[in-house]
Amino acid sequence: MNSRYLFGEAWAIARSGPRHTAMAVLLIALAFYVPGLFALLARNLSRMSDPAQDPVGVVLTLDPSADARAIAAKVAQDRRVARVTIVGSEAALERFRRAYPDLGAALQELHEAPFPPTIEVHLRPAVPALAARDLAASAQSWPGVDSAESEEAFARKFRDGVRLLRGAGFFLGGLLAFAAVLSVASAVRLALDLHRDEIDIMRRMGATEAAIRAPFWLHASFEGLAGGALSLLLLYATYRAAIHLLSREPHPVLSLFWVGFLDLPTALALPAVGAIAGFVGSLLSLSKRPKS
Amino acid sequence: MIQVFRLCKDYGPFRHAISDVSFNVERGEFVFLTGPSGAGKSTLLKLLFREELPTSGQVLVNGRNIGVLPDSQVPYFRRTLGVVFQDFKLIGRKTIFENLSFVQSVLGLPRGEQKRRAYQALKRVGLQHRMNSYPSELSGGEQQRSAVALAIVNEPVLLLADEPTGNLDPVLSEEIMKLFAEINIRGTTVFVATHDIDLIRRMGKRVLTIEKGMLRERDMARESLAREAPFLPG
Repeated sequence: MNSRYLFGEAWAIARSGPRHTAMAVLLIALAFYVPGLFALLARNLSRMSDPAQDPVGVVLTLDPSADARAIAAKVAQDRRVARVTIVGSEAALERFRRAYPDLGAALQELHEAPFPPTIEVHLRPAVPALAARDLAASAQSWPGVDSAESEEAFARKFRDGVRLLRGAGFFLGGLLAFAAVLSVASAVRLALDLHRDEIDIMRRMGATEAAIRAPFWLHASFEGLAGGALSLLLLYATYRAAIHLLSREPHPVLSLFWVGFLDLPTALALPAVGAIAGFVGSLLSLSKRPKS
Repeated sequence: MIQVFRLCKDYGPFRHAISDVSFNVERGEFVFLTGPSGAGKSTLLKLLFREELPTSGQVLVNGRNIGVLPDSQVPYFRRTLGVVFQDFKLIGRKTIFENLSFVQSVLGLPRGEQKRRAYQALKRVGLQHRMNSYPSELSGGEQQRSAVALAIVNEPVLLLADEPTGNLDPVLSEEIMKLFAEINIRGTTVFVATHDIDLIRRMGKRVLTIEKGMLRERDMARESLAREAPFLPG
Protein backbone atom coordinates (compact mmCIF):
# COMPACT_ATOMS: atom_id res chain seq x y z
CA MET A 1 0.00 0.00 0.00
CA ASN A 2 1.55 3.29 -1.02
CA SER A 3 0.81 6.85 0.07
CA ARG A 4 -0.33 7.86 -3.40
CA TYR A 5 -3.06 5.24 -3.30
CA LEU A 6 -3.94 6.09 0.30
CA PHE A 7 -4.31 9.86 -0.16
CA GLY A 8 -5.76 9.54 -3.67
CA GLU A 9 -8.51 7.22 -2.49
CA ALA A 10 -9.21 9.25 0.66
CA TRP A 11 -9.69 12.29 -1.60
CA ALA A 12 -11.86 10.26 -4.00
CA ILE A 13 -14.05 9.19 -1.07
CA ALA A 14 -14.46 12.83 -0.01
CA ARG A 15 -15.34 13.82 -3.58
CA SER A 16 -17.80 11.00 -4.11
CA GLY A 17 -20.18 12.49 -1.53
CA PRO A 18 -19.28 16.18 -1.24
CA ARG A 19 -22.51 17.15 0.51
CA HIS A 20 -22.16 14.47 3.11
CA THR A 21 -18.50 15.32 3.64
CA ALA A 22 -19.38 19.01 4.07
CA MET A 23 -22.21 18.13 6.44
CA ALA A 24 -19.98 15.93 8.57
CA VAL A 25 -17.29 18.64 8.75
CA LEU A 26 -19.91 21.22 9.71
CA LEU A 27 -21.39 18.99 12.40
CA ILE A 28 -17.96 18.34 13.88
CA ALA A 29 -17.20 22.08 13.78
CA LEU A 30 -20.41 22.86 15.67
CA ALA A 31 -19.79 20.02 18.10
CA PHE A 32 -16.41 21.49 19.02
CA TYR A 33 -17.42 25.15 18.79
CA VAL A 34 -19.78 24.96 21.79
CA PRO A 35 -17.31 23.43 24.27
CA GLY A 36 -14.63 25.68 22.78
CA LEU A 37 -16.76 28.69 23.69
CA PHE A 38 -17.07 27.38 27.24
CA ALA A 39 -13.30 26.93 27.38
CA LEU A 40 -12.82 30.49 26.13
CA LEU A 41 -15.18 31.90 28.76
CA ALA A 42 -13.61 29.82 31.53
CA ARG A 43 -10.11 30.89 30.51
CA ASN A 44 -10.97 34.56 30.54
CA LEU A 45 -12.86 34.31 33.83
CA SER A 46 -10.08 32.36 35.49
CA ARG A 47 -7.73 35.27 34.83
CA MET A 48 -9.72 37.19 37.42
CA SER A 49 -9.21 34.57 40.11
CA ASP A 50 -5.66 33.44 39.62
CA PRO A 51 -5.81 29.93 41.08
CA ALA A 52 -2.03 29.70 41.25
CA GLN A 53 -1.98 32.07 44.22
CA ASP A 54 -3.48 31.36 47.62
CA PRO A 55 -6.73 33.32 47.92
CA VAL A 56 -6.85 36.74 49.49
CA GLY A 57 -9.06 36.77 52.59
CA VAL A 58 -9.50 40.51 53.16
CA VAL A 59 -8.63 43.56 51.07
CA LEU A 60 -8.08 46.87 52.91
CA THR A 61 -8.34 49.91 50.65
CA LEU A 62 -6.29 52.76 52.13
CA ASP A 63 -6.38 56.52 51.94
CA PRO A 64 -3.55 57.68 49.68
CA SER A 65 -2.01 59.52 52.70
CA ALA A 66 -2.22 56.56 55.08
CA ASP A 67 0.88 54.79 56.46
CA ALA A 68 0.52 51.43 54.69
CA ARG A 69 3.43 49.80 56.61
CA ALA A 70 1.96 50.66 60.01
CA ILE A 71 -1.46 49.34 59.08
CA ALA A 72 0.10 46.18 57.59
CA ALA A 73 2.05 45.61 60.82
CA LYS A 74 -1.13 46.01 62.85
CA VAL A 75 -3.01 43.46 60.71
CA ALA A 76 -0.11 41.01 60.83
CA GLN A 77 -0.33 40.89 64.66
CA ASP A 78 -3.67 39.04 64.36
CA ARG A 79 -3.05 35.30 64.94
CA ARG A 80 -5.48 34.34 62.14
CA VAL A 81 -3.36 36.15 59.54
CA ALA A 82 -0.78 34.17 57.55
CA ARG A 83 0.77 37.09 55.68
CA VAL A 84 0.02 40.57 54.36
CA THR A 85 0.96 42.20 51.04
CA ILE A 86 1.07 45.92 50.41
CA VAL A 87 0.00 46.72 46.85
CA GLY A 88 0.87 50.32 45.99
CA SER A 89 -0.90 52.34 43.29
CA GLU A 90 1.89 51.68 40.76
CA ALA A 91 2.01 47.98 41.56
CA ALA A 92 -1.78 47.75 41.15
CA LEU A 93 -1.56 49.45 37.76
CA GLU A 94 1.27 47.14 36.70
CA ARG A 95 -0.71 44.12 37.79
CA PHE A 96 -3.72 45.32 35.78
CA ARG A 97 -1.59 45.81 32.69
CA ARG A 98 -0.15 42.31 33.02
CA ALA A 99 -3.56 40.72 33.42
CA TYR A 100 -5.26 42.75 30.70
CA PRO A 101 -2.65 43.84 28.16
CA ASP A 102 -5.20 45.30 25.71
CA LEU A 103 -7.02 47.41 28.34
CA GLY A 104 -3.84 48.26 30.26
CA ALA A 105 -2.50 50.16 27.27
CA ALA A 106 -5.50 52.50 27.45
CA LEU A 107 -4.39 53.67 30.92
CA GLN A 108 -0.92 54.75 29.74
CA GLU A 109 -1.99 58.31 29.09
CA LEU A 110 -3.16 58.89 32.66
CA HIS A 111 -0.90 61.16 34.74
CA GLU A 112 -1.93 59.61 38.04
CA ALA A 113 -2.23 56.01 39.02
CA PRO A 114 -5.98 55.25 39.00
CA PHE A 115 -5.83 52.58 41.69
CA PRO A 116 -5.63 53.38 45.44
CA PRO A 117 -3.07 51.52 47.59
CA THR A 118 -4.38 48.33 49.18
CA ILE A 119 -3.31 45.72 51.69
CA GLU A 120 -4.10 42.11 50.83
CA VAL A 121 -4.53 39.92 53.87
CA HIS A 122 -4.01 36.16 53.49
CA LEU A 123 -5.48 34.08 56.30
CA ARG A 124 -4.18 30.83 57.72
CA PRO A 125 -5.83 27.79 56.07
CA ALA A 126 -7.29 26.47 59.36
CA VAL A 127 -9.21 29.61 60.37
CA PRO A 128 -13.04 29.44 60.43
CA ALA A 129 -14.98 30.64 57.39
CA LEU A 130 -16.28 33.76 59.14
CA ALA A 131 -12.79 34.97 60.19
CA ALA A 132 -12.34 37.09 57.07
CA ARG A 133 -15.64 38.88 57.62
CA ASP A 134 -14.78 39.57 61.34
CA LEU A 135 -11.37 40.92 60.45
CA ALA A 136 -12.81 43.16 57.70
CA ALA A 137 -15.44 44.49 60.13
CA SER A 138 -12.86 45.41 62.78
CA ALA A 139 -10.40 46.93 60.24
CA GLN A 140 -13.13 49.12 58.82
CA SER A 141 -12.84 51.49 61.78
CA TRP A 142 -9.05 51.84 61.73
CA PRO A 143 -7.63 55.23 60.79
CA GLY A 144 -6.28 55.36 57.22
CA VAL A 145 -8.49 52.48 56.09
CA ASP A 146 -10.99 53.67 53.52
CA SER A 147 -12.81 50.35 53.22
CA ALA A 148 -12.28 46.73 54.24
CA GLU A 149 -13.89 43.90 52.34
CA SER A 150 -13.91 40.19 52.87
CA GLU A 151 -12.92 38.55 49.57
CA GLU A 152 -12.84 34.96 50.63
CA ALA A 153 -16.47 33.99 50.08
CA PHE A 154 -16.67 35.84 46.77
CA ALA A 155 -13.37 34.41 45.54
CA ARG A 156 -14.47 30.90 46.48
CA LYS A 157 -17.80 31.32 44.72
CA PHE A 158 -16.07 32.80 41.69
CA ARG A 159 -13.62 29.93 41.48
CA ASP A 160 -16.44 27.44 41.90
CA GLY A 161 -18.32 29.21 39.11
CA VAL A 162 -15.36 29.00 36.78
CA ARG A 163 -14.88 25.34 37.69
CA LEU A 164 -18.56 24.68 36.98
CA LEU A 165 -18.31 26.44 33.64
CA ARG A 166 -15.27 24.38 32.73
CA GLY A 167 -17.04 21.19 33.85
CA ALA A 168 -20.11 22.07 31.82
CA GLY A 169 -17.83 22.67 28.84
CA PHE A 170 -16.22 19.26 29.26
CA PHE A 171 -19.59 17.54 29.69
CA LEU A 172 -21.13 19.26 26.71
CA GLY A 173 -17.91 18.72 24.77
CA GLY A 174 -18.01 15.01 25.50
CA LEU A 175 -21.65 14.79 24.52
CA LEU A 176 -21.17 16.72 21.29
CA ALA A 177 -17.95 14.87 20.47
CA PHE A 178 -19.93 11.64 20.76
CA ALA A 179 -22.51 13.08 18.38
CA ALA A 180 -19.67 14.08 16.03
CA VAL A 181 -18.27 10.55 16.16
CA LEU A 182 -21.69 9.15 15.23
CA SER A 183 -22.08 11.63 12.38
CA VAL A 184 -18.66 10.67 10.99
CA ALA A 185 -19.55 7.00 11.38
CA SER A 186 -22.71 7.47 9.34
CA ALA A 187 -20.84 9.49 6.69
CA VAL A 188 -18.25 6.70 6.42
CA ARG A 189 -21.00 4.09 6.18
CA LEU A 190 -22.50 6.04 3.29
CA ALA A 191 -19.10 6.31 1.61
CA LEU A 192 -18.69 2.55 2.01
CA ASP A 193 -22.01 2.06 0.29
CA LEU A 194 -20.96 4.31 -2.59
CA HIS A 195 -17.69 2.39 -2.99
CA ARG A 196 -19.12 -1.09 -2.61
CA ASP A 197 -18.08 -2.15 -6.12
CA GLU A 198 -14.52 -0.97 -5.63
CA ILE A 199 -14.26 -2.74 -2.30
CA ASP A 200 -15.53 -5.89 -3.98
CA ILE A 201 -12.96 -5.62 -6.76
CA MET A 202 -10.14 -4.82 -4.33
CA ARG A 203 -11.01 -7.79 -2.16
CA ARG A 204 -11.15 -10.14 -5.14
CA MET A 205 -7.82 -8.90 -6.38
CA GLY A 206 -6.26 -9.76 -3.03
CA ALA A 207 -6.20 -6.42 -1.20
CA THR A 208 -5.81 -6.81 2.56
CA GLU A 209 -8.53 -5.48 4.87
CA ALA A 210 -6.10 -2.82 6.11
CA ALA A 211 -5.50 -1.62 2.54
CA ILE A 212 -9.26 -1.46 1.93
CA ARG A 213 -10.03 0.37 5.17
CA ALA A 214 -7.03 2.72 5.38
CA PRO A 215 -8.41 5.35 2.91
CA PHE A 216 -11.67 5.44 4.91
CA TRP A 217 -9.73 5.92 8.17
CA LEU A 218 -7.71 8.70 6.59
CA HIS A 219 -10.78 10.34 5.06
CA ALA A 220 -12.65 10.35 8.39
CA SER A 221 -9.61 11.62 10.30
CA PHE A 222 -9.26 14.49 7.84
CA GLU A 223 -12.96 15.20 8.14
CA GLY A 224 -12.52 15.47 11.92
CA LEU A 225 -9.38 17.56 11.53
CA ALA A 226 -11.15 19.95 9.16
CA GLY A 227 -14.15 20.15 11.52
CA GLY A 228 -11.91 20.89 14.51
CA ALA A 229 -9.97 23.51 12.55
CA LEU A 230 -13.22 25.12 11.40
CA SER A 231 -14.48 25.26 14.99
CA LEU A 232 -11.21 26.97 15.98
CA LEU A 233 -11.68 29.47 13.18
CA LEU A 234 -15.27 30.13 14.27
CA LEU A 235 -14.14 30.59 17.87
CA TYR A 236 -11.47 33.07 16.84
CA ALA A 237 -14.00 34.94 14.71
CA THR A 238 -16.36 35.07 17.71
CA TYR A 239 -13.57 36.31 19.96
CA ARG A 240 -12.51 39.03 17.49
CA ALA A 241 -16.13 40.06 16.90
CA ALA A 242 -16.65 40.41 20.67
CA ILE A 243 -13.43 42.44 21.03
CA HIS A 244 -14.58 44.67 18.18
CA LEU A 245 -18.01 45.17 19.73
CA LEU A 246 -16.59 45.86 23.20
CA SER A 247 -14.11 48.40 21.84
CA ARG A 248 -17.00 50.27 20.23
CA GLU A 249 -19.36 49.93 23.16
CA PRO A 250 -17.41 49.06 26.33
CA HIS A 251 -19.27 46.95 28.87
CA PRO A 252 -18.38 47.39 32.59
CA VAL A 253 -18.02 43.63 33.23
CA LEU A 254 -17.49 42.01 29.82
CA SER A 255 -14.75 44.47 28.86
CA LEU A 256 -12.87 43.48 31.99
CA PHE A 257 -12.61 39.78 31.41
CA TRP A 258 -13.01 39.28 27.62
CA VAL A 259 -9.39 39.99 26.83
CA GLY A 260 -7.63 36.83 25.68
CA PHE A 261 -8.08 33.92 23.25
CA LEU A 262 -7.47 30.26 24.05
CA ASP A 263 -3.93 29.29 24.93
CA LEU A 264 -2.00 27.44 22.20
CA PRO A 265 -2.33 23.87 23.58
CA THR A 266 -6.11 24.24 23.99
CA ALA A 267 -6.44 25.80 20.54
CA LEU A 268 -4.43 23.00 18.93
CA ALA A 269 -6.38 20.41 20.88
CA LEU A 270 -9.56 21.25 18.93
CA PRO A 271 -8.38 20.00 15.50
CA ALA A 272 -6.43 17.18 17.14
CA VAL A 273 -9.47 15.94 19.08
CA GLY A 274 -11.52 16.43 15.89
CA ALA A 275 -9.15 14.13 13.99
CA ILE A 276 -9.35 11.56 16.79
CA ALA A 277 -13.17 11.78 16.76
CA GLY A 278 -13.15 11.23 12.99
CA PHE A 279 -10.85 8.25 13.30
CA VAL A 280 -12.97 6.71 16.08
CA GLY A 281 -16.09 7.29 13.95
CA SER A 282 -14.53 5.43 11.04
CA LEU A 283 -13.44 2.62 13.35
CA LEU A 284 -17.03 2.34 14.55
CA SER A 285 -18.45 2.02 11.06
CA LEU A 286 -15.65 -0.27 9.88
CA SER A 287 -15.62 -2.46 12.97
CA LYS A 288 -17.44 -5.12 10.99
CA ARG A 289 -16.05 -6.37 7.68
CA PRO A 290 -17.37 -3.93 5.04
CA LYS A 291 -19.80 -5.85 2.89
CA SER A 292 -19.06 -6.18 -0.78
CA MET B 1 -3.87 -27.11 -9.63
CA ILE B 2 -7.33 -27.83 -8.17
CA GLN B 3 -8.05 -30.86 -6.02
CA VAL B 4 -11.54 -31.21 -4.62
CA PHE B 5 -12.37 -34.17 -2.40
CA ARG B 6 -15.85 -35.04 -1.09
CA LEU B 7 -16.84 -31.40 -0.97
CA CYS B 8 -20.18 -30.43 0.56
CA LYS B 9 -21.69 -27.00 1.01
CA ASP B 10 -24.97 -26.56 2.84
CA TYR B 11 -26.93 -23.37 3.46
CA GLY B 12 -28.97 -24.45 6.43
CA PRO B 13 -30.15 -28.00 7.21
CA PHE B 14 -32.36 -28.41 4.13
CA ARG B 15 -30.42 -26.66 1.37
CA HIS B 16 -27.53 -28.64 -0.04
CA ALA B 17 -25.80 -26.52 -2.69
CA ILE B 18 -22.92 -28.96 -3.25
CA SER B 19 -23.09 -32.65 -2.33
CA ASP B 20 -20.07 -34.94 -2.16
CA VAL B 21 -18.19 -33.45 -5.12
CA SER B 22 -14.70 -34.67 -6.04
CA PHE B 23 -12.54 -33.77 -9.05
CA ASN B 24 -9.02 -32.73 -10.07
CA VAL B 25 -7.84 -30.07 -12.50
CA GLU B 26 -4.24 -30.33 -13.68
CA ARG B 27 -1.90 -27.36 -14.04
CA GLY B 28 -2.35 -25.77 -17.49
CA GLU B 29 -5.73 -27.41 -18.12
CA PHE B 30 -8.83 -25.65 -19.55
CA VAL B 31 -11.98 -26.94 -17.90
CA PHE B 32 -15.62 -25.98 -18.29
CA LEU B 33 -18.12 -26.36 -15.50
CA THR B 34 -21.66 -26.49 -16.75
CA GLY B 35 -25.14 -27.15 -15.49
CA PRO B 36 -28.55 -25.47 -15.26
CA SER B 37 -29.17 -22.32 -13.26
CA GLY B 38 -29.09 -22.98 -9.53
CA ALA B 39 -27.12 -26.21 -9.96
CA GLY B 40 -24.26 -24.99 -7.79
CA LYS B 41 -21.76 -23.63 -10.36
CA SER B 42 -21.31 -20.25 -8.69
CA THR B 43 -21.13 -21.85 -5.26
CA LEU B 44 -18.36 -24.15 -6.41
CA LEU B 45 -16.45 -21.20 -7.85
CA LYS B 46 -16.93 -19.24 -4.61
CA LEU B 47 -15.52 -22.20 -2.72
CA LEU B 48 -12.47 -22.29 -5.02
CA PHE B 49 -12.01 -18.57 -4.55
CA ARG B 50 -12.48 -18.81 -0.76
CA GLU B 51 -15.47 -16.51 -0.79
CA GLU B 52 -17.32 -19.36 0.89
CA LEU B 53 -16.08 -22.04 3.25
CA PRO B 54 -16.99 -25.71 2.72
CA THR B 55 -19.33 -27.46 5.12
CA SER B 56 -17.23 -30.58 4.76
CA GLY B 57 -14.61 -32.03 2.44
CA GLN B 58 -11.40 -30.53 1.15
CA VAL B 59 -10.45 -27.99 -1.51
CA LEU B 60 -6.83 -27.57 -2.50
CA VAL B 61 -5.98 -24.74 -4.91
CA ASN B 62 -2.41 -24.33 -6.03
CA GLY B 63 -1.31 -26.50 -3.12
CA ARG B 64 -3.22 -24.56 -0.46
CA ASN B 65 -5.97 -26.11 1.60
CA ILE B 66 -8.68 -23.48 1.34
CA GLY B 67 -10.71 -24.81 4.25
CA VAL B 68 -7.97 -24.19 6.79
CA LEU B 69 -6.51 -21.04 5.23
CA PRO B 70 -6.47 -18.29 7.90
CA ASP B 71 -8.42 -15.11 7.06
CA SER B 72 -5.20 -13.09 7.13
CA GLN B 73 -3.77 -15.27 4.32
CA VAL B 74 -6.82 -15.06 2.03
CA PRO B 75 -5.74 -11.82 0.27
CA TYR B 76 -2.31 -13.29 -0.50
CA PHE B 77 -3.95 -16.47 -1.81
CA ARG B 78 -6.27 -14.44 -4.03
CA ARG B 79 -3.35 -12.60 -5.57
CA THR B 80 -2.42 -15.86 -7.29
CA LEU B 81 -5.87 -16.09 -8.91
CA GLY B 82 -7.79 -14.11 -11.48
CA VAL B 83 -11.59 -13.95 -11.46
CA VAL B 84 -13.98 -12.87 -14.21
CA PHE B 85 -17.68 -12.31 -13.61
CA GLN B 86 -20.73 -11.93 -15.78
CA ASP B 87 -21.23 -8.31 -14.69
CA PHE B 88 -17.65 -7.21 -15.57
CA LYS B 89 -16.86 -5.61 -12.16
CA LEU B 90 -15.10 -2.48 -13.34
CA ILE B 91 -14.84 0.82 -11.48
CA GLY B 92 -16.99 3.27 -13.41
CA ARG B 93 -15.19 6.47 -12.37
CA LYS B 94 -11.81 5.25 -13.58
CA THR B 95 -10.52 4.64 -17.10
CA ILE B 96 -9.69 1.09 -18.10
CA PHE B 97 -5.99 1.77 -17.61
CA GLU B 98 -6.67 3.32 -14.18
CA ASN B 99 -8.81 0.31 -13.25
CA LEU B 100 -5.89 -1.96 -13.91
CA SER B 101 -3.23 0.16 -12.25
CA PHE B 102 -5.52 0.92 -9.28
CA VAL B 103 -5.76 -2.70 -8.16
CA GLN B 104 -1.99 -2.96 -8.34
CA SER B 105 -1.47 0.22 -6.33
CA VAL B 106 -3.66 -1.35 -3.62
CA LEU B 107 -1.27 -4.28 -3.64
CA GLY B 108 1.64 -1.87 -3.23
CA LEU B 109 3.39 -2.31 -6.58
CA PRO B 110 5.71 0.50 -7.75
CA ARG B 111 4.17 2.89 -10.28
CA GLY B 112 6.41 1.88 -13.16
CA GLU B 113 5.57 -1.77 -12.65
CA GLN B 114 1.85 -0.93 -12.39
CA LYS B 115 1.93 0.85 -15.75
CA ARG B 116 3.94 -1.89 -17.43
CA ARG B 117 1.63 -4.67 -16.21
CA ALA B 118 -1.53 -2.72 -17.01
CA TYR B 119 -0.38 -2.02 -20.55
CA GLN B 120 0.72 -5.62 -21.09
CA ALA B 121 -2.64 -6.95 -19.87
CA LEU B 122 -4.58 -4.56 -22.10
CA LYS B 123 -2.39 -5.53 -25.05
CA ARG B 124 -3.10 -9.21 -24.41
CA VAL B 125 -6.85 -8.60 -24.65
CA GLY B 126 -6.40 -6.22 -27.60
CA LEU B 127 -7.64 -3.11 -25.83
CA GLN B 128 -4.49 -1.00 -25.62
CA HIS B 129 -6.06 1.56 -27.98
CA ARG B 130 -9.02 2.01 -25.56
CA MET B 131 -6.94 2.34 -22.41
CA ASN B 132 -8.11 5.89 -21.68
CA SER B 133 -11.79 5.09 -22.11
CA TYR B 134 -14.21 4.78 -19.24
CA PRO B 135 -16.17 1.50 -18.89
CA SER B 136 -19.39 3.25 -19.92
CA GLU B 137 -17.76 4.22 -23.23
CA LEU B 138 -17.04 0.59 -24.12
CA SER B 139 -19.21 -2.08 -25.71
CA GLY B 140 -20.24 -5.15 -23.72
CA GLY B 141 -17.53 -7.25 -25.35
CA GLU B 142 -14.88 -4.61 -24.68
CA GLN B 143 -16.02 -4.33 -21.06
CA GLN B 144 -15.68 -8.08 -20.61
CA ARG B 145 -12.26 -8.03 -22.27
CA SER B 146 -11.31 -5.27 -19.82
CA ALA B 147 -12.54 -7.48 -16.99
CA VAL B 148 -10.36 -10.28 -18.32
CA ALA B 149 -7.41 -7.87 -18.44
CA LEU B 150 -8.14 -6.96 -14.82
CA ALA B 151 -8.17 -10.65 -13.91
CA ILE B 152 -4.85 -11.41 -15.63
CA VAL B 153 -2.99 -8.23 -14.69
CA ASN B 154 -1.42 -9.95 -11.68
CA GLU B 155 -0.31 -12.85 -13.88
CA PRO B 156 -2.40 -15.46 -12.04
CA VAL B 157 -1.71 -19.19 -12.10
CA LEU B 158 -5.44 -19.93 -12.17
CA LEU B 159 -8.20 -18.01 -13.93
CA LEU B 160 -11.75 -18.56 -12.69
CA ALA B 161 -14.69 -17.26 -14.69
CA ASP B 162 -18.34 -17.30 -13.63
CA GLU B 163 -20.69 -17.02 -16.62
CA PRO B 164 -18.28 -14.65 -18.41
CA THR B 165 -20.41 -14.62 -21.56
CA GLY B 166 -23.78 -14.33 -19.84
CA ASN B 167 -24.26 -10.73 -21.00
CA LEU B 168 -22.76 -11.15 -24.47
CA ASP B 169 -24.06 -12.18 -27.90
CA PRO B 170 -22.72 -15.41 -29.51
CA VAL B 171 -20.03 -13.63 -31.56
CA LEU B 172 -18.64 -11.74 -28.58
CA SER B 173 -18.94 -14.87 -26.44
CA GLU B 174 -16.73 -16.76 -28.85
CA GLU B 175 -14.27 -13.87 -28.85
CA ILE B 176 -14.00 -14.05 -25.05
CA MET B 177 -13.55 -17.82 -25.15
CA LYS B 178 -10.76 -17.45 -27.68
CA LEU B 179 -9.15 -15.00 -25.30
CA PHE B 180 -9.37 -17.56 -22.49
CA ALA B 181 -7.84 -20.17 -24.79
CA GLU B 182 -4.92 -17.83 -25.54
CA ILE B 183 -4.41 -17.21 -21.85
CA ASN B 184 -4.50 -20.96 -21.28
CA ILE B 185 -1.90 -21.57 -24.00
CA ARG B 186 0.45 -19.26 -22.12
CA GLY B 187 0.28 -21.63 -19.14
CA THR B 188 -2.56 -20.31 -16.98
CA THR B 189 -5.06 -22.90 -15.79
CA VAL B 190 -8.56 -21.81 -16.81
CA PHE B 191 -11.78 -22.90 -15.09
CA VAL B 192 -14.95 -21.49 -16.64
CA ALA B 193 -18.49 -21.93 -15.32
CA THR B 194 -21.10 -21.47 -18.04
CA HIS B 195 -24.42 -22.90 -19.15
CA ASP B 196 -23.74 -22.16 -22.83
CA ILE B 197 -23.50 -25.73 -24.14
CA ASP B 198 -22.96 -24.70 -27.78
CA LEU B 199 -19.97 -22.62 -26.82
CA ILE B 200 -18.52 -25.47 -24.77
CA ARG B 201 -19.02 -27.85 -27.67
CA ARG B 202 -17.18 -25.54 -30.06
CA MET B 203 -14.25 -25.19 -27.68
CA GLY B 204 -13.74 -28.95 -27.36
CA LYS B 205 -12.32 -28.86 -23.83
CA ARG B 206 -12.87 -30.97 -20.75
CA VAL B 207 -16.33 -30.52 -19.25
CA LEU B 208 -17.64 -31.09 -15.73
CA THR B 209 -21.38 -31.04 -15.25
CA ILE B 210 -23.05 -30.15 -12.01
CA GLU B 211 -26.72 -30.77 -11.39
CA LYS B 212 -28.54 -30.42 -8.08
CA GLY B 213 -25.16 -30.16 -6.40
CA MET B 214 -23.86 -33.46 -7.82
CA LEU B 215 -20.92 -33.52 -10.24
CA ARG B 216 -20.16 -35.77 -13.18
CA GLU B 217 -17.57 -35.76 -15.93
CA ARG B 218 -19.03 -35.31 -19.43
CA ASP B 219 -17.51 -36.40 -22.72
CA MET B 220 -18.72 -33.73 -25.12
CA ALA B 221 -16.85 -35.18 -28.10
CA ARG B 222 -18.63 -38.51 -27.72
CA GLU B 223 -21.98 -36.73 -27.22
CA SER B 224 -21.46 -34.77 -30.45
CA LEU B 225 -20.63 -37.91 -32.39
CA ALA B 226 -23.66 -39.68 -30.96
CA ARG B 227 -25.90 -36.83 -32.04
CA GLU B 228 -24.47 -36.69 -35.57
CA ALA B 229 -24.37 -40.52 -36.06
CA PRO B 230 -26.90 -42.02 -33.66
CA PHE B 231 -26.37 -45.62 -34.86
CA LEU B 232 -22.70 -45.76 -33.96
CA PRO B 233 -21.98 -48.00 -30.98
CA GLY B 234 -21.79 -45.97 -27.72
